[in-house]
Amino acid sequence: MPIVLTAKAVKQISVGEDLTILADDRAFLPDIEAWCKKTGHELRGTQAKDGCFEATVRRRS
Amino acid sequence: MDGDARSQEARLERLEAELTLLKSQLAGLAGPDAAPNALVQHSGGQEDRLSLIVFSGSLDRLIAAFVLATGAAAMGMKVSMFFTFWGTSALRRSAQVKKTLLERMFGWMLPTGVKKLPLSQMNMGGGGPMMIRYIMKKKGVASVEEMMALAGELGVELNICTMSMDLLGMKEAEMLEYPGLAYCGVAKFLETAAPGKITMFV
Repeated sequence: MPIVLTAKAVKQISVGEDLTILADDRAFLPDIEAWCKKTGHELRGTQAKDGCFEATVRRRS
Repeated sequence: MDGDARSQEARLERLEAELTLLKSQLAGLAGPDAAPNALVQHSGGQEDRLSLIVFSGSLDRLIAAFVLATGAAAMGMKVSMFFTFWGTSALRRSAQVKKTLLERMFGWMLPTGVKKLPLSQMNMGGGGPMMIRYIMKKKGVASVEEMMALAGELGVELNICTMSMDLLGMKEAEMLEYPGLAYCGVAKFLETAAPGKITMFV
C-alpha cells in the first residue's frame, strides 16, 4: 500500500521535485527500490528511522 | 437484343458486387497478420500489462487480487481484471431486479458484494471475515473496499464475464458502480491478455 500511495503522491509534485515517504511496512525499502527502477523515478536515499522506513524520491517524468 | 444486353449488365453488376464482398472477406481473414505491427501484437509478452482472472468468490483471494492489481497499477502497468464464476459475486450489490424463480434462488445463496464474501479458509460461519477485517484495520491495511476505490482511481479495468452472470442469474442492474466497468466474454479476455506480460488466475 505505501507504494500505491507513493505512486499517487508523485503525481502531485512537479518533475525534478523530491518526495519523502515515511512508511511502517518492512517491505517498503525493497519495494520502493523496485518501484523506482520500474517507473524511472530517482531514488535519492533511504534510511531506517525508529522502526519506520524513509525514502526520498525525485520525480523524473 | 436490348433485353439480353440489360440482363448481361445486371449479371456483371452482381459479379462485381460478389467480388467486392469476397475481397473484403479476404482482407478480414488476412487482417491481423497484414497489419504492420502484427508481430508485436501476436508474439506475446510485449505489453506491460497484468491480467487477472478472478474466479474465486472468497474475501482472502479478492484481497490478494486487489493488492496485486493496485500494486501493478502503481508500478505503471496496465491492469485488467476479469471476474468470472463465483468472482462475479464480489461486484454485486443488492438491488431490485426482475428474475426467474431459479435466478432468485441463486441470488439468495450468493453473496451480495465484498461485504458478504466468506473466507476460503477459517470462515467459521462468517466470523473469519469479520476477524480479518478487524486485523486489517488494526494494522493499517486498506480495506478491500478502499482498494477497489483506489483501483478505480488508478485506472484498473474491471470486466465481468456475461456467461457467468447468465448462469448465476445476475443482472447488469445489480452490479456495482465502477468507472469503466465492462461486460465481456472469453474472447475479450484473451485479446487483452495475449500480448501482456503477466496473467494470473485467482
